[in-house]
Amino acid sequence: MLLLTRENLLTEKTRLALSVSGIALTVLLITMLVALYRGWDEKVGTFVAQSSVDVWVTSPGARDFLGAASLLPVEGPDAVDAHAYLNDHEAVAAWSPLIVRPMDVWRIEAVVDGSEKQGQRIDALFIGFDPLTGLGGPLRVVEGRGDAWFGEIIVDSALSQRYGVEIGDVLRAAGKDWTVVGKSQGGDFVGTQTVFAHHDHAQAALGMVGATTFYAVSLVDGTDAREFADEIVERAPDEIVAYTRDEFAGNTRERVLGDVLPLLVVVLGLAFVVGMTVAGLTVYTSTVAHSREYGILKAVGFGDGYLYRLVVEKSVIMTVLGFGAGILVAFAIAPLITNYVPQFVVHIRWQDVCGIFGATLVMAVAAAYLPIRRIADLDPVSVFAA
Amino acid sequence: MTQPSQPVLVMEKVSKVFDETGDPVHALDSVDFNVNAGEVCLLMGPSGSGKTTLLTIAGALQRPTAGRVFIDGTEVTAVDQSDLPAIRKSKVGFIFQHFNLIPALTALDNVALVMSGGLKERRGRALELIESLGLGHRARTRPRHLSGGEKQRVAIARALANDPVLILADEPVSNLDAARLGEVLTQLRRLAYDLGKAVVIISHDHRVQEFATRTLWLEDGRFQDGPHILGN
Repeated sequence: MLLLTRENLLTEKTRLALSVSGIALTVLLITMLVALYRGWDEKVGTFVAQSSVDVWVTSPGARDFLGAASLLPVEGPDAVDAHAYLNDHEAVAAWSPLIVRPMDVWRIEAVVDGSEKQGQRIDALFIGFDPLTGLGGPLRVVEGRGDAWFGEIIVDSALSQRYGVEIGDVLRAAGKDWTVVGKSQGGDFVGTQTVFAHHDHAQAALGMVGATTFYAVSLVDGTDAREFADEIVERAPDEIVAYTRDEFAGNTRERVLGDVLPLLVVVLGLAFVVGMTVAGLTVYTSTVAHSREYGILKAVGFGDGYLYRLVVEKSVIMTVLGFGAGILVAFAIAPLITNYVPQFVVHIRWQDVCGIFGATLVMAVAAAYLPIRRIADLDPVSVFAA
Repeated sequence: MTQPSQPVLVMEKVSKVFDETGDPVHALDSVDFNVNAGEVCLLMGPSGSGKTTLLTIAGALQRPTAGRVFIDGTEVTAVDQSDLPAIRKSKVGFIFQHFNLIPALTALDNVALVMSGGLKERRGRALELIESLGLGHRARTRPRHLSGGEKQRVAIARALANDPVLILADEPVSNLDAARLGEVLTQLRRLAYDLGKAVVIISHDHRVQEFATRTLWLEDGRFQDGPHILGN
């Protein structure tokens, strides 16, 4: 059976090439979209998931790292009470306040004759952390220093690469100038990247006197984070909410990807339909072109099942070839695109490749439906006509 | 092999009415027709007389409106439609006017295609068959590079691929010149005489009669005394 399918395909090289190319483009599109989603998912969740913060305490209404509407006191009776509780709790290894604020940061490009020129606008996530605990601070320092003191900042290496910011450069944020003293990794949220400053300096610059965004809490090994979170919320249920690291990372991913996912599903669905249509049209036109041959096979004693298998086999061969070509191209061009467009973060997982292969096979079988209907209607007596 | 004189094809009171436009056409009208093993039966008649309809009903390609058809003892008019392909494949060999070979396959694979078993084994048997018809040197040639006579011999080889008891040939020599005509008809007669097949040939060509053991004239869906039959 494979012999006839193969020979038929080889005698239609142009049709085969067009079909395989169409399917390859579909597979490429699907692979890149899925890989982009995985890449974003990984990037967006990395910072929270890999931080040493076990429990994130926020004010009610805030549930993730990026939607930083949280405001917690660091002064006043409530703050004193909370600080005393955290300081004295045997399960708390360390804690510190953490400021997180999305903001525009400007690069100061030139200062000539006392005048200054603001350069490129940088979309950044401005973080004020305590260098003594390091909680919520840079994950991995790759160049320069990892502790920021007054007037100093550490930038994420993705930001550095995207905007050409280097150690020693001056950035303006919240009306103040900050000198870059280090680069870190793990703070790339795709659309925005982290900039780390000292908590107290950030607090002053942002006018958040007596307030912070989160309490970042690190627990003693073996402590159940969920139980601790419940315990701390019980003390002031109307004023705070607490999340474990996994919950907070999940919420952060959901904030970024929650809106993207439905769009992605629609585009993936469209790509699937396009691929199926390409395969279906090719198999259908090929079936029409070879109608007489199918009629001959029917006449000489081949049952419908055999002929259906021929069609499905042809469809599967074409789509598998298209799948192979599409995946190879995806692996080849993904790093190149990421190099030119840093936001195009892709992560091609073998599980996804297997899933796409499965979808391709479904595409192949679905594409064979109409051609099979045509064959079913073929009258073998027709081969006696001229 | 079916024994000579044993009936291979039996058609009893077979009628076929086409009524697709509301104006019934009686293609066959209560026809009785038997062909024995070792016999070459030639069917002649004017266009539209029902020859091809009879052939397709005899080959279990379509069902009659009325009557019964037996092939090698099996009543094909009584079996399920889905079982007919298997009966055709094992008991009937078709030879068509336009050869109807698969263009993408070599002569060898056209024959091997309809056989059962592994590809290597099928090709071996197909080659033997093609060689027996004097076409061994053209076995790996595609149909478009074969002459009309060669194509028809490949078609004969394909018809014989599963060692059927009944060979049905529809105008097998109409596209051949005189030399090739004799060559192909000699092969068909050999199938009946040497291999004991029952052979039915439809043809308009009177030269075919000398290769047939019996000639029948079909007109208006019935067997009649043909005006041009030279002898039976």
